[in-house]
Amino acid sequence: MSLIFRLAGRQACNQFLKNEKTGLLNFIRPVTLQAKPAQPPVKEGHDERNMRLKRPQSPHLTIYAPQLTSMLSISHRATGMVLGAYAVGLGMGALVFPDDIPCWVEALECYNPALLTSVKFMLSFPLTYHFWNGIRHLIWDTGKFLTIKEVYLTGYAMLALAISTSIALTVM
Amino acid sequence: MALSLIFKNSARTQVLSKLPANLLKVKPVNTRVFSQLLNNANTTKGSLVSVVSKNVIAKRVMSGDHSKLWPIEKGVAIALLGVVPATFLMPNVILDDVFAVMVVMHAHWGFEACAVDYIRPIIFGAAIPKISLGIIYVISALTLGGLIYYNHHSAGIGKTIRRIWELEPKQTAKN
Ligand code: HEM
Repeated sequence: MSLIFRLAGRQACNQFLKNEKTGLLNFIRPVTLQAKPAQPPVKEGHDERNMRLKRPQSPHLTIYAPQLTSMLSISHRATGMVLGAYAVGLGMGALVFPDDIPCWVEALECYNPALLTSVKFMLSFPLTYHFWNGIRHLIWDTGKFLTIKEVYLTGYAMLALAISTSIALTVM
Repeated sequence: MALSLIFKNSARTQVLSKLPANLLKVKPVNTRVFSQLLNNANTTKGSLVSVVSKNVIAKRVMSGDHSKLWPIEKGVAIALLGVVPATFLMPNVILDDVFAVMVVMHAHWGFEACAVDYIRPIIFGAAIPKISLGIIYVISALTLGGLIYYNHHSAGIGKTIRRIWELEPKQTAKN
C-alpha cells in the first residue's frame, strides 16, 4: 500500500492515476459506517424467497426438456396417486357396498376378455412400477446409486423390470 | 453489515496489491480488468448504502421438523415391499389388516406430500392448504375404516385381488 501512495506522489504516476482507463483514484471513496441495532431475522418461506430474488419456478416446465430422470420421478408420484386412488376407492366402496364388491369382481367373467385383461394391466402396471421404483428410491435414501450414470442405469433397469413383470402379471 | 463492507473492499485491495507489478511495466497489461471493475464500482456507487441496509437477515422457514417421522415413513415403505406381495400370494385376515393399515399410512403421507407441494399458501391463500390437509385426514380415516370392515365382513383385500387373477373369461372358453 505504501508503495502505491509513494508512487502516487510522483508526477508521472499522477497522470496514470487520473487516467480514465487505469485511474486508481476512482477506487477511492469515503465510506461511513453507521451502527444500527440488529434487526430480528425476517421469516421467509421458499416461495417468498424465490419471488424476492425474482427466480422463476424451478424446474421451468415450458423451457426444461423432458428427461428420463424427471419423467421417472413424476411417474413414481403418478403411480403412487393411482394406487392411492384404488385403495381409497376400495375402502370407500366397502363402506357403502361391502357385499357387492365380490360380485362385481365375478361379473368381470361375463364381459369381453379384453376388459379383464385391461383391468389386470391397470392394476398391475402402477403397482409393479411403483414397487420397483420404490426400491430405487429407498436405495437412494441410503446414499447409494446417486451419480447421473447410476441414476440412468437403474432407471432403465427399473423400467424394463416394471414393464416385463406387469405384462407377465397381465397375461397370467 | 460492516462485515459485508469489508468483504466488498477487500476484493478491491486485492486488486490494488497486484498493481505495482503493472505500474513498473508502465504499460498496464490488463486495463480491461480495471475498466470492468470501474463499471462495477460505478453502478454500485450510488446504491451501496441502500444495498447494505436492504441486507436484512432472512430466516428461511421450511416445513416443520420431519426428522422423527422420516425413518418411520421409510420403515413402512420397506415393510410394504414384503406385505404387498404376501397379501396377494397368501390372503388371510391378519395380512389383510396389516396391508390396510400400512398402505393407508403410506398413501396418507404420499397425499400429504403432494398437497404440501402443489396446494401452496402463496397460490391458494392461507385457508385452502389447511382445509385440504384436513380433507386428506378424513379420506384416510374413512378408507382405513372401510378396508378393515371389508377385511372382516366381506371378502378381504387379498382374496378380492387374487380372485381377479383366478377368473376364467367365458368367451375365451367358448373359442
Ligand atoms: C409395494 C411397496 C411400495 C414401496 C416400496 C413404496 C415406496 C414408496 C416410496 C419410497 C415413496 C416416496 C417417494 C419419494 O421419496 O418421493 C412412495 C411414495 C408414494 N407411494 Fe408408495 N410404495 C409402495 C406401495 C405403495 C402403495 C400400495 C400405494 C398406494 C396405495 C402407494 C402410494 C404412494 C403415494 C401416494 C406416494 C406419494 C408420491 C410422492 O410423494 O411422490 N405406495 N412410495
